[in-house]
Amino acid sequence: MNRDVLVKLNYLLLALLLIGASLVIRHAENPERLIQGQWIEKEWRLEKDNAGADEESRIQSGLKREIMQNVEDLHLGVWHFSEDGSLKSATSADESDMEWFIKGRGHVLELRRNGKPIESFQIQQISKDRLVLHLNFDLQVKGIIEIVLEKKEQLDQYAKKI
Amino acid sequence: MLRKYSNHRTQSDNVKLGALTAFSAGMVNVASVTVFFAFTSNITGYYAVLAQEISKGNWYQGAVVLLWVTLFFLGSFLSNFVIIQGKGRWSQYISHAIPVVLEFLSILFVGIYLDAFYQNSLKETEILVGALLFAMGLQNGLTASISNSVVKTTHLTGLTTDLAIIVSMFSKHEHRHNKALVDKFHLLLTIMIAYVAGGLFGGIGYLYLENGTFYLTCAILLIIALYDFYKIGRIKRIFERRKREVVPA
Repeated sequence: MNRDVLVKLNYLLLALLLIGASLVIRHAENPERLIQGQWIEKEWRLEKDNAGADEESRIQSGLKREIMQNVEDLHLGVWHFSEDGSLKSATSADESDMEWFIKGRGHVLELRRNGKPIESFQIQQISKDRLVLHLNFDLQVKGIIEIVLEKKEQLDQYAKKI
Repeated sequence: MLRKYSNHRTQSDNVKLGALTAFSAGMVNVASVTVFFAFTSNITGYYAVLAQEISKGNWYQGAVVLLWVTLFFLGSFLSNFVIIQGKGRWSQYISHAIPVVLEFLSILFVGIYLDAFYQNSLKETEILVGALLFAMGLQNGLTASISNSVVKTTHLTGLTTDLAIIVSMFSKHEHRHNKALVDKFHLLLTIMIAYVAGGLFGGIGYLYLENGTFYLTCAILLIIALYDFYKIGRIKRIFERRKREVVPA
């Protein structure tokens, strides 16, 4: 093929990539929209720790308990992500001013209390009915806390069906 | 630092350009991770992330990464485009300074936007990270283009590989006295140290200056752009003084 044509094809490809990516960003489901609503905590577990299930020592269990205690105030029960950026809990008595922000490419959930960042989670999975968050630990334990949440409306619909 | 091209550049020109641009890239990268949770000079990593997001069916996140990579590409493209199209139209110094000025404007835009308008929304984050990646593309394109690919300020994978190769070359006695190799070693080591120092400075600086970190990066870019302006002026003054001294004789 003629080199001039190939060069023009290069420019066309570049333009298509830019336009295509922009269109997907504009029309695909945005994590910021997907997360809005009420989510019910289904699971809290420590994953990918150093020890296997059978060799788990008492020290490891103690460490786990200590870590879980540190993030105890994030046990909200029902997480209500409002459109105005506030995060409320339907079950927790804590009424402090919590806010949520989605950062990065839509893969980080940052929580702030009274304007100060308190925790950031990796959004491992987000869909209309399921949200999986990972809380990373880099220091004492090589592990992550996995929080699995399910959309309240989806659960209500399921309950009605039954 | 900017006005010379390719093989006409001295080791000192490359070291100065490499150190200052790597320092600013390190600062921008760490500041961006702190504010936006996104790297701005990690293109290799983004290719992997792009593949990962697509394989997981996360089209939105994949498109964001694709847009960022394309903006970096566009920055590098524009940098070299200005340099080669500017040849013969305006001075070499101007052609080389334009990408630095564009980079300056991109980073300044991010700093001002963060200070005055930022609402912490995902859309804003994506656009601002895109602007920073475009700026880094401009910078990497400029340094690689004018130095014949000797200076690459955000390409730390390649730099670490080259550095490792040179260090292993030094295991042979005859290479230790090879000036070209020793010069390259000094250059790469300077870039690496400057990048890490910039990152440290960006991280610690953000605690005290917050968005001012981006303005500080702009100040470094101004030094890069105006250094040769100052040098050319000084050379002109010396030349005119000598001319005046010669004329009476």
